[in-house]
Amino acid sequence: MIIRFLQRHREASVALIIIFLFAILGLVDRSYFSIDTVLLVYGNSLILFVLAIGATMVMATHGLDVSVGSIMGLAAVVAGLLMNAGWAIPSAIGVALLIGLVCGLFNGALVSLLNVSAIVATLGTLGLYRGLVHLLSGGAWIEGLPEGFKALTKAGSLGLSPVAWLVLALLVVAHFCLRYTAFGRSMFAVGDNREGARLIGIRVNEVQIAAYGLNGLLAALAGVIFASQIGFIPNTAGTGMEMRAIASSVLGGVSLLGGTGTVLGAALGAYFMTSIDSILVLLRLQAYWNDIIAGAILLVVLITDGKIREAVDRLLRYQKYRKFIDPQAAGQQPAGSVRVARSRQAALETSEVSK
Amino acid sequence: MRLHPALKRWESVLALLLIAEILLFGAINPVFLQPATLLYATSDFIHVGITALALTLVIITGGIDLSLGSVMGLSAITLGILWVAGIDIWVAAALALVVGTLGGVLNAVAIHLSKVNPLVITLGTGFLYGGAALVLSGLAGATGYEGISNFDPAFVNLANIEVLGLPLPFALFLVLTAAFMALLHRTRFGRYVYLIGQNPRAAAYAGTPVFRTLVVAYALTSLMAAVSGLILASYFGSARSDFGSTALMPAITAVVLGGTSIYGGSGTILGTALAALLVGYLQTGLQLVGVSSHVSSALSGGLLVIVVALRSLTEMGRVWIQHRRVLRNVAAE
Repeated sequence: MIIRFLQRHREASVALIIIFLFAILGLVDRSYFSIDTVLLVYGNSLILFVLAIGATMVMATHGLDVSVGSIMGLAAVVAGLLMNAGWAIPSAIGVALLIGLVCGLFNGALVSLLNVSAIVATLGTLGLYRGLVHLLSGGAWIEGLPEGFKALTKAGSLGLSPVAWLVLALLVVAHFCLRYTAFGRSMFAVGDNREGARLIGIRVNEVQIAAYGLNGLLAALAGVIFASQIGFIPNTAGTGMEMRAIASSVLGGVSLLGGTGTVLGAALGAYFMTSIDSILVLLRLQAYWNDIIAGAILLVVLITDGKIREAVDRLLRYQKYRKFIDPQAAGQQPAGSVRVARSRQAALETSEVSK
Repeated sequence: MRLHPALKRWESVLALLLIAEILLFGAINPVFLQPATLLYATSDFIHVGITALALTLVIITGGIDLSLGSVMGLSAITLGILWVAGIDIWVAAALALVVGTLGGVLNAVAIHLSKVNPLVITLGTGFLYGGAALVLSGLAGATGYEGISNFDPAFVNLANIEVLGLPLPFALFLVLTAAFMALLHRTRFGRYVYLIGQNPRAAAYAGTPVFRTLVVAYALTSLMAAVSGLILASYFGSARSDFGSTALMPAITAVVLGGTSIYGGSGTILGTALAALLVGYLQTGLQLVGVSSHVSSALSGGLLVIVVALRSLTEMGRVWIQHRRVLRNVAAE
């Protein structure tokens, strides 16, 4: 039963490992599960949550977007410049989000219509959008953002800021959209088998472009949150975030080969990436230990997950062919079938070796 | 119109682009055409080229290495730590190269053990090595961006020594280009690299030593990244943990622009070498003309997008023309 479940839910094994790690943390320090700590880590991981939703969508279509860090920076700079030029906060944010959407759609068009491989296309736009950031800001930091804008990420009702509520809602909506709506499922279908998806009538190109567009939109939102949280916008805003977003999604069980993954898993991954900071505090280590611990955990999780998947596959294959390998188990088999069983077993073993 | 086969190759297009680029910048600013400028400008970007040469092997096998930027920083910091600990600078450099190579071996072993996509594994090891570099520099008390300096003058001068009139890093790049061309295009190992990239399963069935080949390819990439880290340490006279953070994307750009398929199975060393020079001179040229370095990086990103999109479009066009020809022949019968 458990094996079937693991087979059906690709993200479950990773989620189990993460929950196990959380449990260890909780044992080391009881305060880890206190409301305050949870709220603090949640507040610190807002940006990563938003990016992870986008990364999940793009990776579901068997894509990859490494330009999200630059889109973040671009959106933050645009929003900052407009607000400092006297625009109202909502319209400035709206324009920033629109810019993110356009950037994402451009990525999608490159990948889908021009058939450029996802990593190459977004690698190019990574440089392109970052250059636009520098062009727009003229190389200077943007400071003096309006107080009303900064207040968006100040704690409000129930200890959560308005933006934190928005992100919570986004997580829930995105999770259900990706799992239970036709549009969400079509993304996974495209990622799993592009040609097959086309044959059952999914508009493959549109779905792919939409995934990148939404990802751009979310990256822009992350940029706006970033600007609101730290209160000024450096030129390097968002640099390196793409790797963190991909890492959290992968940690949460989203496959880079497309077709599997959930927003819930990705959110767990993002939460975990951020809570490494609090592990450091618990272990009384300096902040520079962050990356090495993140990397080590990521590797351990990935390798463990790979091993679990291998074991599950082997068990399933064993059950499928058990009656050929072990005639006793299957009961009344004709005597002749033993030889067949031998060759089946041999075939099974060679296919094991080749994988 | 029949073109000579050599002219149809992607490398000749790149070479023409490179010449056109140099002439164009030379027309705007004659300083650019002076041999000294052309040669010493390479010192700013040649570390990317050296890493890209070896990365070509990994990408041809169908893999990728996102950890090489971190390895650059790690090797530089290892050198710095050992030097501060009072070890001879040449021994320290050798140990830094060993550390880098081990990183590559670990990449290959992790990929082999977990059978997870190399992109994901090297993303993880990238965090690991980058984190290790940060921890090492933190333990040595080198605060963030200052790094470790005061190296042996003999080591610092290394980046400025001339070999046959060429700056040493550039000379090293040329020698390595020749070595990698021989390795990839003239040895059995090179054929294995292509075979694995074309079809890993067929390669395994054919008895190709897949694991051993991958270990060598990833180890070479990390070794070259470590060499680049040392070159940077010598060039700047200091070692910092974040040396390679900006080198990863340009290195992948050079490989892809050089005509290597990101899906593996095809590509050449010469293409990568030419593309590395093309992108590097574009950056320096734009800076000489007076464009800020950030905008020039945007333009090289734009160049990558345009070139790859054009290649993809011509491929689609070629297929379309072929289809039309076939259809017309069928209709004629």
